[in-house]
Amino acid sequence: MTPPRPFDDPLSVLVICQLVAPVVALASIGLPALLGRPLSERTTTRVVGSAFATSFVAALVTLVMIINRGFAAHVVHLGSMFAVGHHAATIELVADGLSVPYVCFSTGLCALVNAFAGKYLHREPGFARFFILLALFGTGMNLMVLAGSIDALFAGWEFLGISSALLIGFFHERRNAVDAAMRAFCTYRVCDVGLLAASVVIHQATGSGDFAALFAGTWPEATCLVPGTTALTVSLLLVFAALGKSGQVPFSGWLPRAMEGPTPSSAIFYGALSIHAGAYVLLRCESVLDAAPAAAWLLVAIGGGTALHAAIVGSVQTDLKSMLAYASMTQAGIILAEIGLGLRVVPLVHVISHAILRSLQILRSPSAMHDRHELAAALGGHPGSSDWSLVRLLPRRVSRSLYHIALERGFEEAVVTRLVVLPLMAMLKAADGLERRWTTLLGGGSTEGRMRHDSSGGMP
Amino acid sequence: MVVETVSLAAVAVCTAAPLVGAVTLRLTERRIDPRLVASAAVGISLVASLVAAACWHLGSGRPTTFGPGLTGGSVVLVDGLTAILLPYVAVVDMAIVLVAPRRAFASPGVRRLLAGAAITFATLSTSHPVALTILWGVSILATWTTIRSTAGGRTTARVYGLAMAAALACMISGTTLLVADPPWLTGSGTTGATGGWLVAIAVMIRKGLVPFHSWYHTLFSGASLATALVVTMPQVATYTAVRLLVGHADGVPDELLVLSNAALMTAAYGAALAVVQRDARGLVGMLAMSQSAMVLAGLAGTVPTELCGALAVWVSSGLALTGIGLVVWALESRGGAISIETLQGRFADAPALAAFFLLFGLATLGFPGTLSFVADDLIISGSLDDHLHAGLFVIAATVFAGIAVMRGWFHVFGGRVTVDAPRHALLPRERVAFTALVIILFGLGLWPGPFVRSLEKVATSLLASRHHHAAAPLPESHP
Repeated sequence: MTPPRPFDDPLSVLVICQLVAPVVALASIGLPALLGRPLSERTTTRVVGSAFATSFVAALVTLVMIINRGFAAHVVHLGSMFAVGHHAATIELVADGLSVPYVCFSTGLCALVNAFAGKYLHREPGFARFFILLALFGTGMNLMVLAGSIDALFAGWEFLGISSALLIGFFHERRNAVDAAMRAFCTYRVCDVGLLAASVVIHQATGSGDFAALFAGTWPEATCLVPGTTALTVSLLLVFAALGKSGQVPFSGWLPRAMEGPTPSSAIFYGALSIHAGAYVLLRCESVLDAAPAAAWLLVAIGGGTALHAAIVGSVQTDLKSMLAYASMTQAGIILAEIGLGLRVVPLVHVISHAILRSLQILRSPSAMHDRHELAAALGGHPGSSDWSLVRLLPRRVSRSLYHIALERGFEEAVVTRLVVLPLMAMLKAADGLERRWTTLLGGGSTEGRMRHDSSGGMP
Repeated sequence: MVVETVSLAAVAVCTAAPLVGAVTLRLTERRIDPRLVASAAVGISLVASLVAAACWHLGSGRPTTFGPGLTGGSVVLVDGLTAILLPYVAVVDMAIVLVAPRRAFASPGVRRLLAGAAITFATLSTSHPVALTILWGVSILATWTTIRSTAGGRTTARVYGLAMAAALACMISGTTLLVADPPWLTGSGTTGATGGWLVAIAVMIRKGLVPFHSWYHTLFSGASLATALVVTMPQVATYTAVRLLVGHADGVPDELLVLSNAALMTAAYGAALAVVQRDARGLVGMLAMSQSAMVLAGLAGTVPTELCGALAVWVSSGLALTGIGLVVWALESRGGAISIETLQGRFADAPALAAFFLLFGLATLGFPGTLSFVADDLIISGSLDDHLHAGLFVIAATVFAGIAVMRGWFHVFGGRVTVDAPRHALLPRERVAFTALVIILFGLGLWPGPFVRSLEKVATSLLASRHHHAAAPLPESHP
């Protein structure tokens, strides 16, 4: 029997539409920009806005249809990109009770941010660049969420990573923005190893990257199909991958710095969507996590620890964006802990409500600051704040220690930098220095002349 | 029969066109635009190489041979590997010709580029040990002469000369011993085994594998970028390893194991060193060293997925790194050498070059939608199938390479802007070259099926030839 063609079924068309709309927007604004003829600001926002609106409407209709079908998963087979021997990269989209709500709120928020950014970034030199990255982000988010295989999920995950890093470094003329972007990218890249390795383990264990070979049944009541040791390995790798994107300890250092990017991108990526990508992956593979209690408890410990850490550190932040970043980190930690505890619908609702609230707060933050300054001017002084705090219930010595820890951001960055980053960089620089000395010796003189000559480009 | 004849004719045209171009330039001495002649010559080679590739497909993947054979090798061999590599090298050469600054064509260098292209095409069309050795010698001498004539290139020429003299000596003695006593034939003794090891050492030196890698960095730093790209991107040493060692893996298993492990270490080490490079050329050099080593590591594998991945990395990393190298060259020709120790702020000056650098960078680091994503997927999966440690080295290399590329991009283009508007718009010929490379890399990444099927055919035939050679040599000649 030949498999049904994707375009024969209206539901499949709707699912494909959710993915294709941002891709079309990306191509429509990206190609003219690459050819040196970027679209006007108005056209750019209209194209991107229409794409997200289309995707949002398609997701809403899909959600209604899925509900009518009792949340039964609808799988769309788009075929195989390539296959060698037993290794095949298939493209399969899944619309179910997890993916479609995620697409609804992510495309809705992207459309909202598109409308906001059109005004916020008016006449910015990087206007087109921002919207290209927004469309790339939307493409990655929808691909990751709708993915029916680990390969497609990984592709979407990578789109998120690169677009996030480039948006953090959007104001690339600022040193801090570049440093923050590199910090985020390095964290992502290291943690992506987890997802990449999980993908390989899944391929080796099941002979395919399809989730259907990894677990059976409808979310959130799927059953794991792989043995316990494989489930444990995959779960640990997925948890490792999720820690980076969700800004969890010990990989949380990039998150507060990510606010170097423009406000609209901060809202959508680090407050709402990007930070919940890890939670999505763990929710998608919940049955595998269920089969690996050790990984689940590890997740609870890390999530709980991060929530506590971020709550303490966030309480001493002096700028609004940093406070919001730590607040996001706290909620992300709680969400991961909920997933580790075996809850399914609760974290999904938590993700959606937190994303909407946090987006609103971050988008509102510049005008909130403005309002507060106006209020202070009108009152002739600082409006003041509540003196009540939970910390005041603690003994003075404890609260002082906590304050010190909070100011130092829990020493998390210091420890990671001192124990991992600095020794590694010192080792690499030493190796590079040895290489240079050795080649200088071989050359019988200096090889450093390279920076002085041949900008003219002599041919071979 | 017709297909085979056309295939051989296409390879002949592919090799001869750059030579004819070089001779034409010598005879006309600037009366004709040198870039026009070079573009026409390389363009003809590109078309001819595509014809050769089409013939291979039409001939159901059967290799075409010509001339006398020796130990399983033929003077002219057009199989799947050659069919893939000839168009790839032609595209690299064409991009270099299009992007090279105008003043580069005022020198005799363009003739050397064309002659070098002809030598490379000839090398990639033979599997004859003696022919390979002679072509090694010719290309090394030509490159050494070129580097020596570059301003400030004497030190580099010395380092390159020392390394390549050793490589050539090993190659000559190794092939001699291999021919005298092929280790893949029953009854062979220590002579053949010694030959195998010498050829393996020659390959290690010419490929820049740890611990013989020092010349690689020096070449990129001290020679012209065109020289560095032309010398390294075709990966002649890898091709030699395939013809003389990988194709006879059953006879030289230990040599291949050492090569494979050295390549894995080089892949990870080169990518790690790329993270701490101080200038853009060093970055390109270390990335090239790392990526090319990954190719050899994969080719020494034993599963088709790994071999397919290696071949895909060969093409994808070669094209992407050519793109990055040429963007760096274009930037250098506009504003001098580029340090990446601090932020250079070149974005406002050259936004189009920033976009292309980023796209080529993404195409190097396995970004979805590019050919390198497919390549990385295959090689990681295949190498983990083969040996766990191999997969871990490859993953480490991809992580470091990704960080190095993004650091390079931010440090070249990020930082305080010194101009209000683009000062250095992209020239039409540069835009054509960069766009073509992007189309190939993203086109094959978005629609990889047919290309991967071709690679699988090549990988399968390579694996089959290993066992075939163990039993008996290949038919040696085609009349």
